[in-house]
Amino acid sequence: MTSRGYRAFQVFNALVLTGVVVVTLYPFATIVAQSFSSEHAITAGHVNVVPRGFNLTTYKKVMSDSAFWTNYRNTVVYTVVATAISMVLTTCYAYVLSKRQLKGRRFLIGIALFTMFFNGGLIPNYVLVTDLGLRNSIWAIVLPNAVSVFNLLVMKAFFESMPDELEEAAAVDGLNTYGILARIVLPLSKAVLATMVLFYAVSFWNSWFSAFLYMDRSNLFPVTVYLRNLIAGATGGADQGTASDTALQIGANIQAVTIVLTVVPILTVYPFIQRYFVSGVMLGAVKG
Amino acid sequence: MNQLSRRGFLSTSAGVAGLALAGCGGGGSGASSKVTSANRTGAMAKYGVGDQFKATVPLSFPIMLLSNANYPYKADWLFWSELTKRTNVTLQPTVIPGSDYNQKRSVMVSAGNAPTLIPKTYHPDEEAYIAGGAILPVSDYLDLMPNFQDKVAKWNLQGDLDQLRESDGKFYLLPGLHQDVWKDYSLAIRTDILQQLGLAVPQTWDDLTTVLRAMKKAYPDRYPFSDRWSTPPQPGANNLLALVGEAHNVWAGWSYQHAQWDASAGKFVYTGATDSYKQVIQYLNTLVSEKLLDPESFTQSDDQARQKFANGQSFVISANAQELVNHYRKDIAKISGATVVKIPVPTGPIGAAKFGSRLENGMMIANKAKDGKDFVALMQFVDWLWYSDDGLMFAKWGVQGTTYNGSVEDGTFKLAPDVTWAGVNPSGSKNLQVDYGFFNGVFAYGGSTKLLNSQFPPEELTFQNVMDGRKALPLPPPAPLNSDDREQATLWQTSLKDYVDQQTLKFILGQRPLSQWDAYVSELKAHNSEQYISLVNQAYQDFKKNHG
Amino acid sequence: MSITRTLDPPPAAEQSRSRPVKPRRLTWRRALRRDWQLYSLAVLPVAFFVLFRYLPMLGNVIAFRRYVPGGSLFGEKWVGLRYFRMFIQDPAFWHIFTNTLILGGVTLVFTFPLPIVLALLLNEVRAAKLKRFVQSVSYLPHFLSIVVVAGLITQLLSVNGAVNQGLRALGHAPIPFLQQPGWFRTIYVSSEAWQGVGWGTILYLAALTTIDHQLYEQARIDGAGRWRQTWHVTLPGIRPTMVTLLILNIGTFMAVGFEKILLIYNPLTYPTADVIPTYLYRVGVMSGSFSYGAAIGLFESVIGLILVVAANRISRRAVGTGLW
Repeated sequence: MTSRGYRAFQVFNALVLTGVVVVTLYPFATIVAQSFSSEHAITAGHVNVVPRGFNLTTYKKVMSDSAFWTNYRNTVVYTVVATAISMVLTTCYAYVLSKRQLKGRRFLIGIALFTMFFNGGLIPNYVLVTDLGLRNSIWAIVLPNAVSVFNLLVMKAFFESMPDELEEAAAVDGLNTYGILARIVLPLSKAVLATMVLFYAVSFWNSWFSAFLYMDRSNLFPVTVYLRNLIAGATGGADQGTASDTALQIGANIQAVTIVLTVVPILTVYPFIQRYFVSGVMLGAVKG
Repeated sequence: MNQLSRRGFLSTSAGVAGLALAGCGGGGSGASSKVTSANRTGAMAKYGVGDQFKATVPLSFPIMLLSNANYPYKADWLFWSELTKRTNVTLQPTVIPGSDYNQKRSVMVSAGNAPTLIPKTYHPDEEAYIAGGAILPVSDYLDLMPNFQDKVAKWNLQGDLDQLRESDGKFYLLPGLHQDVWKDYSLAIRTDILQQLGLAVPQTWDDLTTVLRAMKKAYPDRYPFSDRWSTPPQPGANNLLALVGEAHNVWAGWSYQHAQWDASAGKFVYTGATDSYKQVIQYLNTLVSEKLLDPESFTQSDDQARQKFANGQSFVISANAQELVNHYRKDIAKISGATVVKIPVPTGPIGAAKFGSRLENGMMIANKAKDGKDFVALMQFVDWLWYSDDGLMFAKWGVQGTTYNGSVEDGTFKLAPDVTWAGVNPSGSKNLQVDYGFFNGVFAYGGSTKLLNSQFPPEELTFQNVMDGRKALPLPPPAPLNSDDREQATLWQTSLKDYVDQQTLKFILGQRPLSQWDAYVSELKAHNSEQYISLVNQAYQDFKKNHG
Repeated sequence: MSITRTLDPPPAAEQSRSRPVKPRRLTWRRALRRDWQLYSLAVLPVAFFVLFRYLPMLGNVIAFRRYVPGGSLFGEKWVGLRYFRMFIQDPAFWHIFTNTLILGGVTLVFTFPLPIVLALLLNEVRAAKLKRFVQSVSYLPHFLSIVVVAGLITQLLSVNGAVNQGLRALGHAPIPFLQQPGWFRTIYVSSEAWQGVGWGTILYLAALTTIDHQLYEQARIDGAGRWRQTWHVTLPGIRPTMVTLLILNIGTFMAVGFEKILLIYNPLTYPTADVIPTYLYRVGVMSGSFSYGAAIGLFESVIGLILVVAANRISRRAVGTGLW
């Protein structure tokens, strides 16, 4: 296995991966540095990976606002609830769709797939949510986006590639469908489940549009709306006249601070999910 | 007050009323309003100019409130309580983050869900909602608004208001009214460089060319002028184009409009094909080809332009008062001896004149309000808060004795010592906007020149005085299209605009020689410029015939 | 012999399933009786689709009716194919349509294989910690907001930016990349690749964990080197994921990044940069032409659907599996 060709490939691989790291880490590190840098250094373009004129002004301003924490808590709640509901619905439906012998399976797939291409547009969706009385409640964010067809179909592909013998054996042992799903299929699907949890959670975490549309009270906004508005106020800023130094500092790096504040939680949680699909948690040779 | 939220899906709306577009006459401030005694709950029986509006019974009106992140909405602002005290009206705000106000407003109005008062609307955004009957034709109800009418008469704003009229002769937006054309945008120049090279502040655009040439000679390795404000869908360097255009009496840059009024011919012509527009392009092309103006000006981001100015790579940049004070001055602080000033707009062939409307963003009112029992009181309230001298003063500066002292009329106006705003009284513990809720962009805009000047520091006042001295040119006559024509016109307009923007840049940057101008004009014709203009001229004739 | 066996697509089960059932026709009664538990699992998701997706879809009817904001949701009056005719006859539309196709197509061609390649490269890394580090860093660009990414692009490619500085060092004259239509597609696709490659590997890495390690063992015993193992074990192992993603991406390839283009295009690059959503944005900025947008949207949707069906059919014929 350690042929000369393979060693050369390993060198090549190392180079490529180093390149990937540099190209992806460098801009991000610069943004992080900007979030800690002084306004002058940023506007003059002097910030590069290392902060210049270190200060915590923008962080302080944002984190000392109680609205920020209220909205942050909202984001966490929305994300957790939405991810949970989405995972349940998607997993159940994906399992159903993966059963090739199910009558009407194609029709059920079609129901989902069709919606990927056709949707009613903004106004009808808005009227629907309003008429259902969901505005200004968490359900306006959680329900309309509960199932992503993309995630659904990918999960279905994973379930399909699971060997049937496992389920047959379990059926013989007397488990019904629900039992098979819960006791056999899901424990062996940790990789795809972890991936889907990640996808859904990140998507809800970053989402702002639904909340913006359906919430009319600022204490219900997720933190993304709060930060987005902060950016607009800092970079749009009319009727301000002379702004204080603090306001200028904030204007210069609020975007960078926003990114750091929304990404850091994801970065901290990510390693826990990553181990499910990187270090090769085996399916396990349950065969035979 | 979400009466319409119970609409079922399969019910059609009754909002077809607004489809009465075929020039029914009577558009104008003298129309008698169709109010009855059923609409007079809370209204004052005698309400005129100078009267303090106070509802006879406590009323409340829903309003769409844009929450600016710099002074986010607070329920306990002195503004709310004092307003209720004075007018007996409580406002119920739907708070919308400023970042996407337009979108949410659009959705709410389209879904029939919008609050009664919808401020922060810029013309012609309100046009989209007219055909659906969602908004009130306010011009029919001006007799309920004495302060509005008074200001229009006093400041001669008829011509400006006509710009807002639709093909039915009515207008649907209650704009902010200014006594005079307010100019804020111009150029900022490094005065220390001027001094160093022994140059005077340029008065005309030709002067500017001379100045730039001298700068280039002294610093041959850089572009003396690198501009900003280039966001699409405009061509780029939109402020510069607009200013040069104004000097040649033609729409350009972000002021671009497709139809240019040719007074001598008595009709509209296509702006992008006029000789004046060509002159604007020619001027800028000279600057670019002599390497005085950075070609990237037309596409770079504002941050990049600022960076060049901050690093001393460029010496001239577009500016308004805020940018000058907040950004440019601070940006160049690290360069020793650097000073920057916003110069009065350079003049061109038309001399010391200025162009523009004295109206600014304003308010739409939901159409269903007119059936409410407190409709008259609503109009009187709006009239007092946004158009009476007392109301304007209150919204802007607050309460005499608490947030300010003196008066703007005689120049004794001063913010209270503990109140800070925009750098005035920096040691003050309370901010006028953040803590009290005054000078909020939703309520405080427009007004007399004296009121406007009360917010300017002395440096800006000098600029304003020079600009005030310039003659305001008359506005073009109204030529509103009806909604059927507008659909087709929109498509033509988009393709024309895209083409004009593209060719403008190509000519200026020298990618296309100006000798091909005539070919360009024919290409415009191929893009339906003639059809479009004849639509406009037809609309102009129709409007003149129907509404005089 | 064992290698060739493992090359077959997984469902040996399919063959064993379909034969016994054929003799007796499966009526709905029997299907329900046999599989009612499965159907029960499908009830809630289907209800979701019906309520939150199909019900609002009725609003698409405004493509055939004259809609005015604030009026009826279903438009004021029936105008048939008027809006469709409007855009079909508009020469500007066909140009931007072509742009959209090209931009979407090129993006797909370049960004689809890259995550696979990266996942395979990562798979070859022995040290687990290094593998995790590289993988975690590679997805960071996915989290940068589009505004920030556009800012990075404009900064990088400006006349004084890093790329042009490099060019100058090599003796080349600086190129104003963002002002030339010829460069736009390269810039856009590169930025999409850069932003998406790290995030895209996650799914493939998950797929890689589902490959039975015994297959690798068997391949090694049969004398296959690393390359052959990759070709005969790894790739077939992630084939279901690849096929699913490919078909889905083909169906949605016309959905190009509207916000990003809006931030880096300008009139000089309209010839290649202008796509359907940016065009509609400019049209919409002047008036609320909802019906027009809905008509175009329907047109795009039909195309997407046809492409997915075609792609699925080709996929089933070529590799035996598809989306359904």
